[in-house]
Formats: sequence, C-alpha cells, structure tokens
Amino acid sequence: MNDPARTAAGDVRLASQSPYRVLIVDDDPDMSAYLALLLKKEGMAPEVAHDGESAITRALTSLPDLILLDVMMPGMSGFDVCRALKSDPETALLPVVLITALEDRESRVRGIEAGADDFLSKPVNREELLARVKTLRRLHETRKELANRRLAAEIAREDALLAAISRYISPRLANRMLRQNVDNSGVFPTLRDRAKVVVLFADLRGFTRLSETVPVSKIVPMLNEFFTELTAAAHENEGTVFSMAGDSLLVGFNVPITQPDAAERALDTGRSMIRRFAPVALRWRAEHGLSVGIGIGIEAGEVVVGNVGSPTFMSYTIIGDAVNVAARLMQMAAPGEILIGPGAFLSLKGLLGGAAESDRREVSLRGKAEPVEVFAIRVPPQ
Amino acid sequence: MSADKYTAIVDKDIADLIPMFFKNRKTELEALRAALASGDLEQVRRVGHRMKGVGNSYGFAPISDIGKMFEDCAKANDAAGIGASLAEYADYLEKVKVVYE
Repeated sequence: MNDPARTAAGDVRLASQSPYRVLIVDDDPDMSAYLALLLKKEGMAPEVAHDGESAITRALTSLPDLILLDVMMPGMSGFDVCRALKSDPETALLPVVLITALEDRESRVRGIEAGADDFLSKPVNREELLARVKTLRRLHETRKELANRRLAAEIAREDALLAAISRYISPRLANRMLRQNVDNSGVFPTLRDRAKVVVLFADLRGFTRLSETVPVSKIVPMLNEFFTELTAAAHENEGTVFSMAGDSLLVGFNVPITQPDAAERALDTGRSMIRRFAPVALRWRAEHGLSVGIGIGIEAGEVVVGNVGSPTFMSYTIIGDAVNVAARLMQMAAPGEILIGPGAFLSLKGLLGGAAESDRREVSLRGKAEPVEVFAIRVPPQ
Repeated sequence: MSADKYTAIVDKDIADLIPMFFKNRKTELEALRAALASGDLEQVRRVGHRMKGVGNSYGFAPISDIGKMFEDCAKANDAAGIGASLAEYADYLEKVKVVYE
C-alpha cells in the first residue's frame, strides 16, 4: 500500500464511486428544494446554500463537484459569487452553472464575463437540468481521469528513473534524491570538484586460484553472487558504488550526498560485506575445495569527484590519494580483515579505541616514503 | 379563464415538495398584500420575479403568469394592476387542484 501509484489510483477510484456533489445556491427555498430533489433522484448528492456568502464559504470548506447558482439573489448576486469562485485558485476549476431567466440575454453575457461554465433557464426544465448537469459531470470525470493518468505516468517515469539510478548509488539515496528533492544541483559534478570522501575497497582473496580451477562458465555466476552481497552491504549503508572491476569493488561515502558519519558507514559496510559473504565462501569451499575471503581497505581524504571520460561515455568516479591508499590496504588485508588508513582512523578513533578485535600496525605502502600506521580489524564470520 | 386553469399537472417525483410549496405561496400572498399596503413596489417586483421562476418549474404555469403581472405592474407603478393580480392569485391558490403524473 506504500506504493504511491497504487494509492493514487485507489484514491481516484474512490472519488469516482463517491456521489457527485452539487451545491445549489438559491435564495428561494422552493426552487432549491426542487433542484435538490431532482438531483437526488439521479443519485447525486445535492447541498443547498441560500445566499452567496455562505455558498463561497461552503465551497472553500468542502469543494463540491458542481455549483448551480441563481443570478438574482439579495446581497451577493450570482455574478459576484461566480467571479469570486473563478478568481480563487482553490475553486477556479469548479464548474459553475448560472440560473438565469429565459429571456434575459444580458444576464448570459454578464455570466460569461464572470466565468460561468454553462447556463440554465428559469423556469427550470427537468430534462434540460439533468442533461446539463450530466454533461458537466462527464467532463469533470474525464478531467479527473486524465489527471490520474498523467499522475500514474509521472510515477511510472519516476520509478524507471529510480531503478536506473539505483544501479549506481544506493536505492535509498536515489529515492531521497528523486522524491525528496534534496539539493540535486551538484549531485553529479564535473571532475574538478574536490570533496572529503571515505573510500572503501573490497576484493576477493583467492580469486586468481578460483578462476584457474573453476570452469569459466561458472565464474560469472559466482562473481555475481559475490558482488550481490557486497553491493547490498554498500547500499544498506547508503554508499555509492563507483566501480566494479575484476573481483574488486570501490565504494564511496559522503558522496554525492553529505554523510557526517561517513567513516562509521564505511566500517559498517566492511563488516557487513565480510559477514554476508561468509556463508557463500563456505559453500564454495564445499563445492570447489577452495578457500576464499574478502579483504577490505578503508581510507579518508580529499579526492576529486566527478565524471571522467569522453562525451559519449562517462564514468562517475573519484580520484585521489585516499583512493590509492585504500586500494593498497585492500591488497594487504588478510581474508576477513579490514585495514583502516590513518585518514579514516581519525574519524573512528572514538569508536575503535579499545576494540579487542583490532590492532595497530605499521605498513609500508608503495609510493610512500614513510611507513604508515594502520588499524586492522578482524571480522569473525558471525 | 377556463376551469382547466385550476388543474395543475405535477411531476409525481416532486409530490413531497408540494405541501411546503403551497405553504410558502400563502406566506408570499400575505407578503405581497403587505408590500402593496405599504407602497413597497420593489418588494412586489422581487416577489413577482421569484413566482415567475418557481411556478412553471413546479408545473403551476398560472403562478408564473401572475408573477409576471406583479413584476410588470410594479415596474409601471400600477397599484391597481397589482391589486387585481392579488385577487387573481388568491383565487387561484384557493381553487387549484393538483394532479400527479
């Protein structure tokens, strides 16, 4: 029932089943009673107001489907009421039928000027009354249905767009961007914008041996299974998957939408990846006799975010030292281990200070003159 | 005027409204008398105009006709004409018979 398309369609169905509400405005009680009775016999829901002021109040409080409006009334005339209704955006689309004397051409002209949708002559002929009301009712319902179809088409388009975007960023994030109108202006910026990002790299330890042993036809479904668990973990924490190459996955946090707890999200994602993949690894081991596991590197730092490529093929990506460090840490991580670089550790210090499952160590990274201190976390499969 | 003038053919669907309709006509007759007595011809014109609209709608053509007479006489400041119309209206309300179809 949370699906907006279904709810919208449901509302419209209910609306068309509810009786057609006609507000009759006439100071003469006999005339209003007569019109009300005829409409009631046709299954409509008539309501009566005896002067212009109360008619406007009533229309604004609970919008009827149609107004039958007498022209000659003490106080506000039918023209005044019609003009007031047509100039208020709330009631401008409400069809108004003015009731004028048969011979009164001038009233019709004034009625057209006041915005009336149709006219009815006094004395009122039953057949004419019903014909006019039914015509306006059909028109009204057609309009409603068109609006409903437009709404449904709009929702379908939005759903399709959401499905497409959700392949690249977490579905929840995509939903927020599309439906809640978060500041979209710079969501996919050009490759000149710098941002502080938390980077997570994950890959499959033992993949090389696996690809040598298992037939190629089986490798693709196995990799799909692996990436399914990893992207699910990333999306759980609203991470953005930037690339998937071979057996590795690059996920960014605090990008494209600000996440003050980006480092925690990255750590939770890493843990979730290892736990989610554990049963798959067990099964593969049973089936193929090969031991595999996930190694993860996390680092934070300023990177360049944006689209890179040619005019016809673009890749939304992040480039910078933190990305390189996270990639190196991933390569050094043992199966089931998360290595956290010094940049990310700054944000996680409070969280990891006394963790028993972790230890600090110094490592030398390719391209770095000095060894860097990293923080290692062993994640038990369950 | 023929005897048929006093027979009104009324849509049976609106039968429930007829007692109130006649009650309102009698009140209207008194209002017209009072308006004529006080020289309020504008009130006579307004009531006449209303009778014109409601009479035929309900199936009482003579009420619309008499209403038009009130309206025209009031516009012409014809108090005698209004008096004659009052007598005709009272006579009609007294004698009219309703046949539902």
